[in-house]
Amino acid sequence: MSERLGNSLKERRTELGLTQSELAELCLVSRKTINTVENGIFVPSTVLALKLAEALSVPVEQLFWIER
Amino acid sequence: MSYRPRPTFDQPTAESVRRTRRASIWIIPAVILQQTTLIFGRHGDQFSQLLGAICWTALTIAELWWLLGLPFRWLSERDQAILNDEWSRSVSGDASRWGIATAAVAGCAMMIARIWVRLDAGIAIFALVNSALIVAVARYWWLDRGEPDEDE
Repeated sequence: MSERLGNSLKERRTELGLTQSELAELCLVSRKTINTVENGIFVPSTVLALKLAEALSVPVEQLFWIER
Repeated sequence: MSYRPRPTFDQPTAESVRRTRRASIWIIPAVILQQTTLIFGRHGDQFSQLLGAICWTALTIAELWWLLGLPFRWLSERDQAILNDEWSRSVSGDASRWGIATAAVAGCAMMIARIWVRLDAGIAIFALVNSALIVAVARYWWLDRGEPDEDE
């Protein structure tokens, strides 16, 4: 069974009017990291997932979920 | 030894270092090519050897910078964190694995080849090390290629 990490990063980010660069700045990562996470290319660590959730003011499970 | 911070006007940032890394990755194959001609040249004088040693040192530093994410002391902690973030570590790790796999395969191929072909130790070591290096760099370039647009 193939599992994939889904996310609503882009939706939440644009909702708050943030650019990828601004979100990257808030989480102390590069814009490439934000871009690859948004596009499902890169699976972030728990620490980064929590940082993203904190920066976007949502619970982490609202930001990431497993797609089956 | 005292530490003096560099002036801020020319201080590189994480993003500028990332851009430089990406733009200058072609240097490694070029230096390897140059090393090949210098190390295995038939009439290598002392100057050529010195030049070769400088190239080799430059290449080693570049490799450590690309693959291990060597920190720069003049970068702020924030910039160092951005430069060696999760994506960068993931790409470096993947590229290193490809490099190690290449070294293993090249070593095995040489062991088999020496049954039929007489191998020179120097050339064999050079080929082993640099094949691994070139594959690692190529893999790094492939994974980290292009700067995506803001919302691409």
